[in-house]
Amino acid sequence: MNLKNSTGTLPTAAVLAAASATRTHATTGEVDTFIGELRSEPTRGAAIERAVRIGVAGTAPLCDLLADKDVENRRAARRCLDRMVHHAGRPGASGEARELEAALLAAIPIGATLQARREILWLLSEIGGAATVKGVTPLLANPHLGEDVRCVLQRIPGKESLDALKAALKTAPEALRPSIAESLRKRGEKVRGYPSQRLTPVKPTSL
Amino acid sequence: MQNASTLRSRRAFLTSTIRTAGAGALLGLPQVIPARVLGAAGQPGANERITVGHIGVGGMGGGHLDYMVRRVQRGDVNVAAVCDVDEKRLAAARNQAGGKATPYRDYRYVLERKDIDAVVIATPDHWHAVQTVHAADCGKHIYVEKPACCTIEEGKAMMAAGRRNRVAIQIGSQGRSQRECYKAHLYIANGMIGRVRKVTCWHYESPTDDNPAPDSAPPPELDWDLWLGPLSWRPYNPRYCHGTFRWLMESGGGQIRDRGAHVMSNALMIMNADQTGPVSIHATGKVPTKGLWDSAITMDVTYEFKNPDWTLVWSQPGQMVPYFDREKVKNLGIREGYGAVYHGDKDKLVVWVGDGQVFTETKAVEFRKPAGGVDVYESPGHHEDWFVGIRTGRKTIMNVDAGVATAFLCVLGNLSLILGRKLHWDPVKQEIVGDEQARRLMSRPQRYPYCL
Repeated sequence: MNLKNSTGTLPTAAVLAAASATRTHATTGEVDTFIGELRSEPTRGAAIERAVRIGVAGTAPLCDLLADKDVENRRAARRCLDRMVHHAGRPGASGEARELEAALLAAIPIGATLQARREILWLLSEIGGAATVKGVTPLLANPHLGEDVRCVLQRIPGKESLDALKAALKTAPEALRPSIAESLRKRGEKVRGYPSQRLTPVKPTSL
Repeated sequence: MQNASTLRSRRAFLTSTIRTAGAGALLGLPQVIPARVLGAAGQPGANERITVGHIGVGGMGGGHLDYMVRRVQRGDVNVAAVCDVDEKRLAAARNQAGGKATPYRDYRYVLERKDIDAVVIATPDHWHAVQTVHAADCGKHIYVEKPACCTIEEGKAMMAAGRRNRVAIQIGSQGRSQRECYKAHLYIANGMIGRVRKVTCWHYESPTDDNPAPDSAPPPELDWDLWLGPLSWRPYNPRYCHGTFRWLMESGGGQIRDRGAHVMSNALMIMNADQTGPVSIHATGKVPTKGLWDSAITMDVTYEFKNPDWTLVWSQPGQMVPYFDREKVKNLGIREGYGAVYHGDKDKLVVWVGDGQVFTETKAVEFRKPAGGVDVYESPGHHEDWFVGIRTGRKTIMNVDAGVATAFLCVLGNLSLILGRKLHWDPVKQEIVGDEQARRLMSRPQRYPYCL
């Protein structure tokens, strides 16, 4: 099957190898052109395919686009960021992963919509490390994002995330503590109190 | 119909036999039979009706409910509950069950009921593992639609729940119970095509979302929070449901998790590979660039197995093999769009479709096992095989381990595709090796309280 000329085709090995070899940081002009192509339906598919080559320089404008009014622009941004995160997360590319992590963390405070910030958090769950733990933990206090942050901390392995969850059991808003307890149990910790509500029915039918 | 004294003596025989020999030791029983089925004091016994609750009563769920209502008419099933997060569907299901089943929105009410022996779970795929684990922990036998799970963590949790609760679990890959699947299995198991080194599966391409819609408020009959369940919160969009969840990676997972869970399930059974897995998985393909749906449109996945060495390939579209009898295609509506070719070193065998229909070549259909040949299990029917599992403790034909092994192929194929690289898998530990990001994606933290 020839994938090279199809729109919407995942990068071939040759494309990925070229991107890896050069680690190009696209110029401002290239990024602007790229974003413009994402905003236009006829050029969107091919632009998504180039996201990995644009690299970390495209992160901030893509995170802005995640909050765009147009639903297809938002989806295009997400598709690009997914590809960038999956590429940066490959074995042996920890430097790229840290660069992209920093760029994504920087975008969270300025994300214009809740959903955009949620999506950035979940992207960070795939490649984030200690910097992500430190950067996102304060958002446990946000009533709209706390649950997503809890999931991010559950997913990131290591002592920092586990310590953050343990501390959060005492400091997070009370409404979030049962789910934090659940995360701690998932991570192998014994937790007193906050019995799981997973089997407790709460939604009767109106029939 | 057995009389009361026969029932009493059979129940007494089973109970006494198990007590003296130890559960599982006698009669080749792999599991302890729950006391309720054995007929412990004050409890109904094995020949009593099985009381069922239905969780998810849309497309496939409606089909299962229809089957069980017919069993009610035969007198061996009681449908006690129907449950759905869409109250229009729920009302229709209550009518379908003759007005006798109690309707629920929240499946946990169904699991609370002590009178319900078993549940049929036919909800969107992102719910399968959570509801199976919950149902098992409430002591219910389970029929759950395929694919078994959406992540590696989910599959492992399902297997663990099945083991610790010793309930009968049947995954809905009903192709295994089809007559011509049995014939294909018998033919190959008896060496008629020689040693099989490659199985190539074909399936037509997935659809793209050519009619994307903006996010909106959910319809009043739908509980969007309960539909999402374990998935992270996002606004409602009409392209998520119903049925179209199939084209979302995080729920239906595309054709590979839908029909792959049928075609590759048959392959694992025929290749006697339910207890193992590949050592590497490599996927390439094309994914959508617009709309909500993100599962693969076209795809090629190669799975390498070791000891014995063989290769499994899943291709969308791959090379379709036309069914040889065009009249049968017309008259029976045989679907040629998916199937598998088993390549042996002496010959090959084609098996078409894979789910509610399975067809194979005449040479296999007409094959008779020679004296001293290899026997393979012939299922009495997928639901019936489950009922036998409930009543006797025998492992079902698509038990949870087999169902999870199949689902892992589908999950890993998608993971290799979205990460854009080959993955290495340890089939004994059932984990990805040497790729930290891929290892993180073996799980997806679930929205509380809809957790494993």
